[in-house]
Formats: sequence, C-alpha cells, structure tokens
Amino acid sequence: MSDRLSQRIESVAELLVHALELEHQSAECYRQLAQALAVHHNHAAAALFGLLADMSDARASAVMARAEGVSLPEIAPWDFKWPAAGSPQIDCDHVEISYLMTPLQALEVCLDKETLGREFYVLVASESPAAGVRVLAAEMAEERRERVELILTWIRGERGVATRVPEDLDPPNLPG
Amino acid sequence: MPPVTGVATEADARYPDRGPSHRPRRAREAARKSLRSLRLCGFNCRTAICTDWRLGMCHRPSLTGGAALAITGAGGSGAVTAGLILLAAVGRAGHYALMGRSAGPQIRGGESVAMLRFAPRPVECMGDRLDLLVGLDWENVGRFSDELPLDETSLILTDDQAVPVPEILARSGARVRSLPLKVLAEAQPDGRVNMIAIGAVGALLGLPLAALESGARVILADKDDRIIETSVACIRVGHASIGGSQAPPVGMPTPPARWNISGNEAAGLGALRGGVRFVAAYPITPASEMLEWLAPRLERLGGSLLQAEDELASINMLIGSSFGGVPALTATSGPGLSLMVEGIGLAVASETPVVVVDVQRGGPSTGIPTKSEQSDLNLAVYGLHGDAPHLVLAPTGIADCAFTVQWAVGLAEQLQTAAIVLSDQALGQSRAILDPPADPAVVRSDRQPPTRMIADSPGPDYQRYRPSDSGLSSMTLPGVPGGMYTADGLEHGANGVPSSRAVDHAEQLDKRLRKLTAFDYGGEWAEIRGKGDCLLLTWGSSAGPVFEAAERLSASGRPTRAIALRLIAPLQRQALLTELGSVGPILVVEQNQGAQLFCYLHAQRVLPPHARSYARPGPLPLRPAEILRALEEEA
Amino acid sequence: MDAASVIPTLRAKDYKSDVVPVWCPGCGHFGVLSAVTKALAYLKLPKERVALISGIGCSARLPAYVGAYGFHGVHGRALPLAAGLKAARPDLTVLVAGGDGDGFSIGGNHFLHACRRNMDMAYIVMDNEVYGMTKGQASPTTRPDWAKSKLTPHGTGIRPFQPAAIALAAGASFIARGYSGDPGGLTRLIVEAIEHPGFGFLHVLSPCRTFRPEQSDWKHQVHRSDKGPTDDPAEAAHSIQADDGMTLGLLYARRLPVWQPDNRATATTADLEGAFVV
Repeated sequence: MSDRLSQRIESVAELLVHALELEHQSAECYRQLAQALAVHHNHAAAALFGLLADMSDARASAVMARAEGVSLPEIAPWDFKWPAAGSPQIDCDHVEISYLMTPLQALEVCLDKETLGREFYVLVASESPAAGVRVLAAEMAEERRERVELILTWIRGERGVATRVPEDLDPPNLPG
Repeated sequence: MPPVTGVATEADARYPDRGPSHRPRRAREAARKSLRSLRLCGFNCRTAICTDWRLGMCHRPSLTGGAALAITGAGGSGAVTAGLILLAAVGRAGHYALMGRSAGPQIRGGESVAMLRFAPRPVECMGDRLDLLVGLDWENVGRFSDELPLDETSLILTDDQAVPVPEILARSGARVRSLPLKVLAEAQPDGRVNMIAIGAVGALLGLPLAALESGARVILADKDDRIIETSVACIRVGHASIGGSQAPPVGMPTPPARWNISGNEAAGLGALRGGVRFVAAYPITPASEMLEWLAPRLERLGGSLLQAEDELASINMLIGSSFGGVPALTATSGPGLSLMVEGIGLAVASETPVVVVDVQRGGPSTGIPTKSEQSDLNLAVYGLHGDAPHLVLAPTGIADCAFTVQWAVGLAEQLQTAAIVLSDQALGQSRAILDPPADPAVVRSDRQPPTRMIADSPGPDYQRYRPSDSGLSSMTLPGVPGGMYTADGLEHGANGVPSSRAVDHAEQLDKRLRKLTAFDYGGEWAEIRGKGDCLLLTWGSSAGPVFEAAERLSASGRPTRAIALRLIAPLQRQALLTELGSVGPILVVEQNQGAQLFCYLHAQRVLPPHARSYARPGPLPLRPAEILRALEEEA
Repeated sequence: MDAASVIPTLRAKDYKSDVVPVWCPGCGHFGVLSAVTKALAYLKLPKERVALISGIGCSARLPAYVGAYGFHGVHGRALPLAAGLKAARPDLTVLVAGGDGDGFSIGGNHFLHACRRNMDMAYIVMDNEVYGMTKGQASPTTRPDWAKSKLTPHGTGIRPFQPAAIALAAGASFIARGYSGDPGGLTRLIVEAIEHPGFGFLHVLSPCRTFRPEQSDWKHQVHRSDKGPTDDPAEAAHSIQADDGMTLGLLYARRLPVWQPDNRATATTADLEGAFVV
C-alpha cells in the first residue's frame, strides 16, 4: 500500500521524527497489547508486552534527549517514509495476536516488530544521501539489533520451558 | 314531525337568569316577514315565532348557554372551512367557542363534519346535543351520524334541492328546514354553497355580518383576492337570505383580546415558551399539525426542525440535540410512540432531557388515526423496559396544552429525564376561542428555575453521574474543556464508564428514581375544581366534559369536585390521597376500554375500594350527560 | 486569531481516554482507534470540540476510548443521534462510529437517509462481516456460504450488502474504503472524511480475530485503486460495482448541498403569539 519505498530520509531532524514516532507507536502498541491480554486474563503474555512497552518508552526518552535543540518538522501520519505501510510498529498485523497466545508466541510477535524496526534503520543507513543521517541511522540500527538479540535470547530460554498452552474451555462459536 | 306548541315559558322558567331580551317590534316584524320559510325557532323555546332566537339565547343547551351546531358535507364540500370561518366569527363577536372536526380516513373526499359550540363563557367540551345541524349535502353522513346528537328540539338545515335528510338523522325527530343554498350560490359568480351557508347560519345565530366577513378574510387569507371577495359576497347573500341585518345587533360586546388556537398549536407554543429549539419530526395523524406549526416558527427563533426518516430516528435526534445542550421535543401518536420507547429509555438512562408529545388516536395498531382516544396511558407509563422512571403528563384542555407542554419541557430539563405528554386528537385538532394561556415562566420564588444544571467549568474531579441527595448531577456540554464524558445507555458508574457491577447499578437506579420522587412539583400536579364530597377524577381531554358535569351537579345541589391529573407519573400520591380525603362517591372517568388510569391508581394504592370507573373507548367524545348518567348508575 | 496556534499540540495518545478497551487482542478496531486519534491530533482539534457518536456493537465502544465528548447510544441509531447533535451544534466536529450490523442492518434506514441528508460529519463503519458482541452471527456483509454461526447453520444464503454501492445510490457525497491494518492510509481517509463538507462515509475493513480468523488474509487481499477518486456518480457506480470490495482509498467525492439549519434568531416567542389574537 505504501508507494514511498524510494523516498529517502534526508536530514537528521527528519530521522529523529521517524525514530520518535517509531518508539512512541511501539510503546503504545505494546501497552495496548498488554492491556488487552490482561483483560483476557493472559497475564504471562501481558507481562511480556508490558516489559517491551517500558523498554520502548525508555528508547523514546533517549531519542527525545538526542533531539533536544533540534527543530523537528511536522509530518502527517501518512507521510512517514516507512518501508511498509504505516509505521513498522503500529502496522503490527494484529490478527496474529490471540488471547490464547503463549509467552513464546508473544515473544515472536515482539521479535517481528523489533526486526521490522531494525530493518527500517538499516535501510536508512544505506540509502540516505546525507552522511550524518546514515551515521545516526546505523547507530540506531545497532541499538535495535541489541534488542533483537535480547529477545532471541529470551525466545531460546522460553523454548526450553514446558509451557502449557492457554485454553478457552468456553470457546466462542461453541457448537450445539 | 313532532307538533310544535308555544311553550315559551318553559325555557324562561328553566333559565330565570336570562331576562327578557326582546327586540323592538319593528325588527321582530321584519324577522317574521323574511323568515317565512323557517317560521319556527330553531332552538328550544318552542314558540312559533320567537323574537329572541337570532341571538341563540332563547335556549341554552347547557349551563354555559350559547349554542352547538355542526356543519356536514362530503369531503371537499367546505364544511370544515365553514366551521373555521364561523369559529373566527363567533370569536370576533365576543364569544368563547370550541370547534372540533371529524373526518373519514380518506386523503381527500370522503365525509367531514365541523362541530362548533359557543357561549359567553369558556367552552371546554362538546355539549350533549346539537341545536343546529347544517347539511351542505348528505353524502356519507351516516358514517358519523353517531357523532351528531340530535333530538326533537334540534333543527336540521338542508338545501332545498338536496336529497331528503337521511333517515338516520331524521328519526331523531329534529325539525327540518330547507333553504335554497345551492340556488343562491349558483346565482353568484363562482358562488359556493358553504359560503352561502355561513351567511345563513350566521344570521340564524345573530352573528354580525362584519364578524362573519372578518372571519372569512382571516381564514381565507392565503387565497387570492378574487376568491375572498366572491366568498364574502356569498356570505352577504346567505346572511340576507334569512333576513340578517346589515348592522351589528345592539349590545354586541367589543371583542376582547382572546385567542383562536388549536390544541396542537398551543402545545407547539408551550414547547417554544419552554425553550425548545430543536424538533425532529416524522409525520403522523393527528400530530402533524403541531410539527407543521413549529417548523417555520422554530426557524424564526433560531432553532431547527429536522424531518426524520422514522420515529426511531426522531427520538434519537432529540437525544443528540439535547446532549448538545439544545432543548428538544417531538410530537407523534401511538404508533410513533411505540417505536420511540427504546429511545426514551436511552434518554432516561443517559439522563438526557427530551419531551415527546403523544397526540393520541384510536388504537391499537393503526387504529383510528383521525379520531380520538385516551388509550396510550399504559404505554406511556409502563412501556419502557427496565426500571426507567420518567415523567408522564397530560394537558387538561386546549389552553392547558400550552401550559403542560411548557411545564414538561422545564421538568425534563431540570430533572434531566424524558417527559411524555399525552394530548389527543380531540385536544390537538380542535380549535377554541379562549383567554390567552398564561405563561408559567414566572417562577415561584421558592423554586429553582426550570433549567438544566450545567457545569460550565468542571473541576478535575467532575463526574457526570455523581450521586447526590437530590439525585441530580450537573451536566457538561460539548465544547466545555475538562468536562468530557461518554453518555451511555449501558449502566455506568458515576464517571459514566460502563459498569455491570451491582453496586453501580443500585446507585444509578436510585439516583434516577430519587431525582423524580424527591422533587417538589408544586400545585400544578392536577387541576382541581369545585368543592364537595362527590368526586370525579380524570385526565387529559376527558377533563372538559368532567368539569362541566361536576359544575352541573354542583348547580343542581350535589356539590361535586373534579380533579384532572396533569402529572400522571410520578404520581403525586400523598397530595392525591389528601385530596381524596372524604368517603364520598368517586368516579374515575377516561376514554379507553381498559380503565387505564383507574388501574394505574389502584396499582399505586390510591383509590378506596368503593371508587368506580367510567371508561369507554373512543372515538365518540365523552359528553357531560353520559358522565352524569354513569354517576347515577353507580349511586 | 487562529485557534490552533494557541492550543498546545496534542499527540495521538493524548486523544485516548483512560478506559481500557474490551476488544479482543488482535482486533482490527485497535487500528481504527489509533487512526482516529492520529487524525484528531493531525487536525489539532481541541478534544472538547469533538463528539463521537455510536450505537451498539464491538466497534461502537470506540467513543469511550477517545477522550472527547461521546455518546454510546442504542443499537443502530447512532446516525440520527449525530444528526440531531450536528443540527443543534454545528460548531462541533461530529464523528460516528459503528459496525456492519449496527450500520447496515438495524440502522440500515438511517444509513440511507444520512447519505441523502449530507450533514457535515464522518461515518466510520468497521466492517468485520460478523456480529462479534453477540458472539458470532452472520451480518449483512457476511458471504452467503459462511456457515459457522449457529443461527444460520447453512449460511445465510443471501448476497451481502454492498456498502459503497448503496451509499452511492443513496446520494452520498464521499465514499472511501480503508483497512485497519493500514493506519497511515486509514488516518488520511479519516482526515479527509472529516474535512469533506458533508457526510463522509468511510468503510473500514477491520478483521475480527475471534470469530473470523480467516480475515487475517485481508492483509494480502487489500489493494490500492489503480485510478484516483472520481466525482462522477456514473463512473463511481461502474468502478464500485466492478470492484472486488478490497480496493482501498477515496472512491468517490462530490460537492453536494450540505443540510444544516441556519441557527440565527429573527423573532421572539412573543412575536409569534400575535397571530393567535382573534
């Protein structure tokens, strides 16, 4: 749906706005998932998403700190230069989320999102015509990579644990 | 044809207060001469030649004097227009009057009748009988002959070229006189029978020609000049045809500042006086005229009327407007009210003020759209699902439509709830000449003004549905910063957020009930007339004949009180119990099959066991005499 | 003075209320909520000047989740409630939100007449082809052979309601389709629907994770129109009828008269009473 793949980020200010939006949206998205899963009594998955939301908030604060003194442009929600439609975070396809998901599945969703975020920075780091932008984007991609690694570590740990798959004993569309 | 004998003294004896009002001999002679064809007094004095009858004063068909007449004809014959012109004319001539109409269900054609009763004092119901029936033609008159109570003292005026008066009317024994209405009309360029009849009837009733002419000019104001002048010419011819004098009769009072208004118009006026500035409308008989009257006037007052796609829409449109802070009202009839009850429940639950005027008609289902009945009380009181306390009011007459609707708007606004006002076809589509209805906007000093409690600058702890001693909580309006909330038909907590908790349900139910029950409604909850042990208890349009019946009883030596409930729900139980007080006979009078008020009062544990019900369905109007008979049967 | 210049800029998040949604995790409506708040933030609308109106259904819960004024009314009647509000308060930005059952079944008549009436408001219908709140019955937009509801065990056997085509036939002046998984595009359509002078109808494909899990395929099925919007109803009728129902974007927009009463007073009640004098 996005036809802006070729559009390049050309200034540090522009990159900062994207980074800020990415982290804000990401925090909001994780927090929303955490709340929704808590409402549905899947507290294990909710806790994971809550943790990721806090991490994104911290990242957003870091970006804010870095943006201090920089005059940030205003960008319409549909004019962000994401490699895919929407922001890589909010565009999380919610249909992958289920109230019966295991912590492992929750982590896989997080991994997807974080990977998408990293790919965005990698793309900017390689495609931006401005050297300053490329350097900053590479730095951010590296930070994202660390987060991806962390989640991968958690996933490996989780795979070793025998987790009972959450069940709904009164499922929707119960026949009869 | 019954023999007519000279018993002038009978009438005189019956009405000793009347006094002689005989006209000078010359005028008497002139009348005798010009009315050779009539010869007899059309009214009840039973003299061969009555000098008094032109003023309609020789016989008083009721306590109030005056006369009662009906004009009938095929739909399109102009019977209703003739009635409207005569109404305006009697108003100009200084009388009070009431005009009802009846029509078949046809859009055009069919049959129609205008019924007019006038008197020197306010007229609140149709009388027991007609003094005069004018037939422009006799097409289909059988379909409502039961609405035309004739007796041997009535006079039927017919065209001399018309078919004989139908047997169903003639068998009443009423005297029949014919006039060349059609011949006279045909002799005039574009002459019309109904206008000739107006002149003739006006002369019979002793109405000054000037009053008839001005009545015609008012009623025909939107016609072109040629039609108006032709009509006026016909009225003159009709007036002269039976010897009407060109000069105003001696002693005719100067018209006082009275109003000519219908119940639907009065209800519309009450709405505007109450501050209604938004109306959503779906057409329905017999409420449409109220909406049509409101449409251009709301516009002039800076309000608006939105024609809805159905009544489900109109009630929700009211809620939207009222949520935005603009007082809102609609008018409908039974079928429309049925569709609205879900929305009314939403107004109750979300505490959004709305007013619905139900101009009742015969039911159930499509029923009798053009005729009256008081059979929606149960729906209005009990129709909402859940525990949904709300207001139900009923005007006690045409003038009271203005008062009660205005009061309903104020109460709904003040109490942040829904009000249903039960008018009916008989009130809504009747017109009256009456004293201007008082504007109750002047608030008693010990009372709150009838306006909504609005929070203009809500604090951080603002809660839309915060419980309070009065049950009332302030409302914020869109546009006010810091007051944002989501109104909801879901049960909610004090902050408006949906909640299915028992504690919230109990708290909010209690709040919504308490604000209605703890409120001081003042003395307007009923209209109470007369004194005495005998009690007639009623509501709505039945109040008119009940008041007259009570007055006649009192005048005949049996002191009788009449109580017409204006506030039906919440019932002012203590006040009513106090009023009931004594142990005299109690008759609950209403126009429906199921004795809906009677049952409601019993359910509220108000009535003593000896109270009796007189309830009969419409569409025939209740008349004082049948109420008196019902009371006698009880005794 | 430009009102926007004195209002501190709010982020989308600031337009949310603190009420936690009851929606299932993964519900498409989260994306719509996000897009609505982004649109309001983009337009810099003061929260108190916005009113969100809804009927009943999962999607109709949306007003409570936005920190503006809201009315969560009865099933199917959001549009008339919004019409009354807008007639009385033209100064407000009015958004109506609901689902396919609320808008096209029980409220179908209001939908037709809201299109005709063309009052200035945006109508966002979150279509997931199922009644979610009542636990999974077929809706007007459900395919005839969907047989997973106990209520219609053999499917409805009835061809689905065509929202865009019906809106066009009913005289709508703005018809667009969005997808809840495309928040940027959806935000833009919401902004356009709000800015459109008249009734902005926005049909949003919003998957139901719980009762229609197969709708996860929608992300592969939606596509952008290969031509832009038209203002020609005949052309729009052709492209809407020829469409697979998955084309996103503004499909049709036309300047048509907007119904809005003039709320200026020229008389008082007392002025009107003179007409009654005999």
